[in-house]
Amino acid sequence: MRLVIADDSAVVRDGLLHALQAHGHEVVGTAGDGAELLDCVQRERPQVALVDIRMPPTHTSEGLDAASTIRKRAPGVAVLVLSHYVDVDYALTLLRESPARSGYVLKDRVAELTTLLDAIERVARGETVVDPELVDLLLHRPATETRLAELSERERTVLALLAEGLSDRAIAARLWLTQKTVETHVRHILAKLALPPDADHNRRVLAVLTFLRSQG
Amino acid sequence: MTARTFRLAAYGLAALTLGLWMVDIVRQLQLGVADFALSFYAVAGVAAVVVAVAVARQAGRERMAVLIAVWLVISVLDDLPVDWPVSRTAATVWMLAHGLAPAAYGLMVLAYPSGRLRAPGARLLVALAAFVGLVWMGAPLLFFRPGSCSACAPRVSSLFYTGRTFDYLAVGQASWTAFIVIGVFFVALLVRRLRAAPRGARVTLLPLGLAVFFTAAEFVAQRVVWLGGWQSPGTALDWIDRLNALVLPLAIFVGLAAIRRRRGPLGDLVVELDQAHPGEVGRALARTLGDPTLQLALWLPERGAFVDEAGVPVDTSAIPEGRAVTTIGPRGDPLAALVHDERLLGQRSLLEAAGSAARLALENTRLQAELLAQLAELRASRARIVGAADAERRRLERDLHDGAQQRLLALGLALQLLRDGNGDPELLAQAEAELQTALRELRDLARGIHPTILSEQGLGPAVRSLGDRAPVPVQVEAVDERYPASVETTAYFVIAEALANISKHSQARSAVVSFGRQNGKLVVDVADDGRGGAVARPGGGLQGLSDRVAAAGGTLTIASDSDAGTVLHAEVPCDS
Repeated sequence: MRLVIADDSAVVRDGLLHALQAHGHEVVGTAGDGAELLDCVQRERPQVALVDIRMPPTHTSEGLDAASTIRKRAPGVAVLVLSHYVDVDYALTLLRESPARSGYVLKDRVAELTTLLDAIERVARGETVVDPELVDLLLHRPATETRLAELSERERTVLALLAEGLSDRAIAARLWLTQKTVETHVRHILAKLALPPDADHNRRVLAVLTFLRSQG
Repeated sequence: MTARTFRLAAYGLAALTLGLWMVDIVRQLQLGVADFALSFYAVAGVAAVVVAVAVARQAGRERMAVLIAVWLVISVLDDLPVDWPVSRTAATVWMLAHGLAPAAYGLMVLAYPSGRLRAPGARLLVALAAFVGLVWMGAPLLFFRPGSCSACAPRVSSLFYTGRTFDYLAVGQASWTAFIVIGVFFVALLVRRLRAAPRGARVTLLPLGLAVFFTAAEFVAQRVVWLGGWQSPGTALDWIDRLNALVLPLAIFVGLAAIRRRRGPLGDLVVELDQAHPGEVGRALARTLGDPTLQLALWLPERGAFVDEAGVPVDTSAIPEGRAVTTIGPRGDPLAALVHDERLLGQRSLLEAAGSAARLALENTRLQAELLAQLAELRASRARIVGAADAERRRLERDLHDGAQQRLLALGLALQLLRDGNGDPELLAQAEAELQTALRELRDLARGIHPTILSEQGLGPAVRSLGDRAPVPVQVEAVDERYPASVETTAYFVIAEALANISKHSQARSAVVSFGRQNGKLVVDVADDGRGGAVARPGGGLQGLSDRVAAAGGTLTIASDSDAGTVLHAEVPCDS
């Protein structure tokens, strides 16, 4: 797969470059800030851009701005944002522009190569990827009263995976269920949370995240 | 109630009088009963209102102005039965106003010039007049039946008419007798006051005395004519009655003007200052000296600076064109300064006298300004400490993030590649180097946050350890002794920052750090032989240090002349 890496830390950039190449990916360019990244994406048209959220000049959320620009200029390029923070609003900012081919994962996943490689594969396929830790945070906030209480234990598990961006089939595989059972669970969950039964999977992910954000 | 409230009340009543006059005139024109007497009343009334307003504008005369204005309102209401001959409301209001008119008159005269009833017996006399007046008019208020009295002013009953028959005219006769007795005492009281007054005050009482004599004479003459049975409207007596409306306010005004002339603007100032709150002294001075742009600057000896009444520093050295500064108090140790219009310099003696008159008030104001200034400084330094703490946390986050965190991530990547079968020895060496660097960075950071050696072994060893890492030779002169933790931490950071500054800016070849206990304080000195010229700039490291020392209750001073090195001197209280 053709990838570009944007990270202001040369140490991480080189580490990632070696690791991804070792796993058979072709890293067609690296960048140290947003401008370099955009140049690189325009030139190389990679399948996936790995973008560190923190880059010069302010070291806060330049990665999100770069991702947004890539969305407009090169909609075919999947963007996986590597974030240092478990921050729901950053994630929603990214996903709202276009949930498809977008991912928000913690930078720590760099050191769990299989998870990172899986996320790269998934955004490249056009899916939405949300870091499990973020979903976990949303699901386990202390809330006074919420529709979430109406969900069964199994439904909560399915909801968490749904929020991570997993497809029905992937959820079925993860939980050792049939796809049909998962689809039934999803239908019940959406009904209980009063969310529209959207056919588009990625938009559904966004709806679920937005719902979870609004709780508590 | 404040002078301001009284002044506003006087204005309001004066406006009410004018309004009632207008209504009265318009009404009489409508009814076709307007005559030459009405136009005289109109002129006299306006003049009286002008007098009331003029009195209200004088400092300390606001109460007097209210009393004049009350009397004016009651006098205007006297025309109500003419304006609305068949209105029962008009008749009711008239009866009440008419009954209280003698009391209002007496009150105004007896309270002159202060606006307060001070003379013994004055209160009793006014209260009696009000009581008799209410009885006098109370009788027709309850029992006046239309047609029962041709000479009476209203033609209709009041709103409180009971329908019963009662000889209210007899009550009226009795009331008149009582009024005459009260009037005699009233005149006696006035005469006694005139006689007892010192010569200077007599001048101010005389116009009023004459006016009262005029009124009394007119009253007696009216009685004589009435008792003699001569009813002759339009006679000279009626004109004297009309003149009354003008004479009394005019007498009061002339008397007050005489007081004012004797007192002058300084007297006004004293009266104003007596009533002013702290913080209004500048305004009082501005009014007295007739310069609304006048600005008061108070000298704070501790700070060696001028501040305004709110404690905000005033720069008296940068005075724009057309302004001048007059200092109040001894040359070397001023109390305050007035920043004013240059043209006031022509009245230098007045300026200086005003300053002397305001001295006590200025002392108080200065105390308050000093407190306010300290408070403002405290707030600012607190904000700076919070700001510095925030900046410090951001710096720590950046250091952690850009340093150790990235290296550990890279290390994790390398370890995975190694585990996945890449046995590259170079990769292994690189991973080890990343780990060493990350550890070192973490160690440095931790020491920056709080040096363990300081809490475990005390200031001496901690400072020596600082000196070991400094790029210039540092000589430490101190007895190893423990101080309270917060004192040690404050001193440590002062020394650490000073040493950092020395290595960064001073081009010094060596430095000496000395500290020890003196009079319940930990006294710290850090000296270098560099180029000097260090100053505490807002937001700079030295300002931060200064705040930090101030927060611990101590002081920080910097001596840093050019080419003479820098000495940083800190004293932190440690009562133990």
